Amino acid sequence: MLTVLTPVPGTAVAMSEVDDPVFAQGMVGPGVAVRPAPRPQEAVAPIAGRVVKLHPHAFLVLGEGGRGVLVHLGIDTVKLDGAGFATLVEEGAEVEPGTPVIRWDPAEVERQGMSAIVPVVALEARADAVADPAAGEVAAGDTLFRWA
Amino acid sequence: MAQRRVTVESKVGLHARPAAMFVEAASKAEGQVTVAKGEGTPVSAKSILAVMGLDVRNGDEIVIDVEGEGPEADALLDRLAEIANAD
Repeated sequence: MLTVLTPVPGTAVAMSEVDDPVFAQGMVGPGVAVRPAPRPQEAVAPIAGRVVKLHPHAFLVLGEGGRGVLVHLGIDTVKLDGAGFATLVEEGAEVEPGTPVIRWDPAEVERQGMSAIVPVVALEARADAVADPAAGEVAAGDTLFRWA
Repeated sequence: MAQRRVTVESKVGLHARPAAMFVEAASKAEGQVTVAKGEGTPVSAKSILAVMGLDVRNGDEIVIDVEGEGPEADALLDRLAEIANAD
């Protein structure tokens, strides 16, 4: 059982509430989304592993047993071309759960007219592999779900 | 084996959303479907982890291989190329 931490503070909601059908329908994978608190913050690593992909607005940590967790900061935020996002580690870095990875401000994303919701996705997991999903208020580093 | 070379026009490359759509389309094929970045090692186009791990960015060339021949293989290649080029 892999414990996946919430990368950002805010409100945990079901993936189906994400305003993007590709995430909402679980096409990327199952998981839990977080509506982030509207203030500048650091998104932290949800699991231990290697940051195999790092974009200003998203990152993928590959952990033990080849399990990958994708953290996507907002929807369509690729269009911001990194403006308002600062990466705090290099791609390929080894991280511990809770290591800060990206600094960003969800309130600024919302001001640009985009959703700042943060899907946290268990890549290639079966839908029923996500257990004990958090709901309601969460702080960065709290348990978001368990991956069976 | 049907093959297509595509220069990826998707702004984000084959990242989260386009990667998921690419993998979903590829997974509908019965036979093997692989994708490679340029002359790199092909990976399964049915694995989102593998596809995202390729780190395909806007402007990169990818090589898609589909097992089989004929209109079905061509239709799948058309669809995959379309996803790689959508925004």
